[in-house]
Amino acid sequence: MRRTATAVLAAAALTLVAACGGGDSEETNAEGDTKIKVGVIPIVDTAPIWLGKEKGFFEEEGLDLEITTTTGGAAAVPGVVSGDFDFAFGNVMSLMVAADQGLPVEFVTNGTSASGQTDADFGAVIVPTDSPIKSAKDLTGKTVSVNNLKNIGDTTVRAAIEKDGGNPDDVDFIEVPFPDAPAALSKKQVDAIWVLEPFMSQAIADGGRVVSYNYVEMSPQLDIAGYFTTKQYIAENKDVVERFTRAMNKSLDYAGENDQEVRDIVGTYTKIDEATRAKMVLPVFRSEFDRASMETLGAAAVTYDTLKSEPDLDALLP
Amino acid sequence: MSPANSALSAAGTAAPPGRPRHRGLAVPSGVLGVLGIVGFLATWELVVRSGLVEPRYLPAASSVLGELASLAATGSFWEWVGLTLRTWAVGLAVAGVAAIVLGLVIGSSRFLRQATHSTIEFLRPIPSVALIPLAVLLYGTSMQATLLLVVYAAFWQVLIQVLYGAGDVDPVADDTARSYGLGWTARVRYLVWPSALPYVMTGLRLGAAVALILTVTGELVIGGGGLGTQIALAQGVAVTEMYALVVATGLIGVAINLLARAVEKRALRWHVSVRREAVA
Repeated sequence: MRRTATAVLAAAALTLVAACGGGDSEETNAEGDTKIKVGVIPIVDTAPIWLGKEKGFFEEEGLDLEITTTTGGAAAVPGVVSGDFDFAFGNVMSLMVAADQGLPVEFVTNGTSASGQTDADFGAVIVPTDSPIKSAKDLTGKTVSVNNLKNIGDTTVRAAIEKDGGNPDDVDFIEVPFPDAPAALSKKQVDAIWVLEPFMSQAIADGGRVVSYNYVEMSPQLDIAGYFTTKQYIAENKDVVERFTRAMNKSLDYAGENDQEVRDIVGTYTKIDEATRAKMVLPVFRSEFDRASMETLGAAAVTYDTLKSEPDLDALLP
Repeated sequence: MSPANSALSAAGTAAPPGRPRHRGLAVPSGVLGVLGIVGFLATWELVVRSGLVEPRYLPAASSVLGELASLAATGSFWEWVGLTLRTWAVGLAVAGVAAIVLGLVIGSSRFLRQATHSTIEFLRPIPSVALIPLAVLLYGTSMQATLLLVVYAAFWQVLIQVLYGAGDVDPVADDTARSYGLGWTARVRYLVWPSALPYVMTGLRLGAAVALILTVTGELVIGGGGLGTQIALAQGVAVTEMYALVVATGLIGVAINLLARAVEKRALRWHVSVRREAVA
């Protein structure tokens, strides 16, 4: 009895030690495919990479893709910089902030973009139906929830307020995770919420009204997020980066053209039910970056103190 | 006061092992426990049904339990449970072994005890959760990151108990052992270890609970699979499932506590604290 226990403990300790060690550069599987690990958040926006994996686009490039989900976006940059992920999904503002702080990160492909339509997008500022807030300028002096402070949400909402003639500096932003935002709005804990799908549909169904599609207000073709890695990784693994970029771009274009397949694949890695998936507004998936929109965003971020200086897009974009 | 009891009171909340002696009401503790659960579930159901909270944000107990039942029929549910239990078990094992070895070494030397006291008291209160950024930087979002939190939190629970235990050796017995010429290893084996064992068991039981809490927290905040990650995925989009998963982690906690008590009782069956109650 005691001997068994000792053996079990020893085995457990060894597993731990073995699991802790080991580098992860240029490993191949049995078929000779290069193993790559990509960190993504399990949200609608990352559908193309799941779809591309299912369609075999990565295998075609000789890549054995492992998708690792992280609960929040905060793990993406440290994960890539520490070498735990080969690539990760991150929003453009997070990357601009990381670059602003001197981290050597660079996008390799696009990820999600705004809808390009002024009357529908996958993210919006929402107020209760009976709210006196009629348009973005009325948010002046109000409390608005965003998922992260000093990021793409508050920056684009401030820009929308200013564009509409309000005072962008007189808004009280507070952090509320997207899943909790609809409840916070219906309990009137905040005056308005900024949420993405599927929480946007949920908030509207709960009696919410859209005040501003802030991404589109910033720039109709605004690129929201992409897949990135470090400059060092790009320099050392040129070939892998090229293959990943090709497979990822193919996945993005495929997802952009196959709406229903995107809605279906989302059901495999999230717990969003079919009815919601059928209704929700999808982001635009396309492989080309819209550089002009990023310049607009970068300039706005400097105006609202999210960034210290305008981003060097030559360094940030492929 | 027996060593086991003083260890337990040092730990604060725990009751002595074995059956509690009841005075007055002759209701078996098992029945009372069940009544407590029924009362809790009834309150939960009432709060929702009366419209005090909206079922959209907190579904009724009946629908959550129904969801749990249908979840339990799926294979993936047991996969998540397995992942959580694996992290818990490895974490507790590593923390337990490290704490017992270090505790016995430090505890049997006055010099080491005094030299490490302030360091231990400084490190012990650091909340494991505060180490999440460090864990993610070191191990990414893998299971090891969560493991770091689990080991850190459970380690102190066990170490403190072992230190108390190793310090509780009867001085007469210690002098006797020394005058009979028992070496360090023999004294640890025949004197320190049996004296410390009740404390070790208490430490492991407390550590087991803390390890589970940190496992689920780590999975929730960092990711990497298991029940915690599924709770994070269900947040906001599958509320009933989320509460079903929360109830599942609670049930695992109860099971772990029962298991720890059974192990404690068996390991200490020779000890006066367990024997006396078995006789009575």
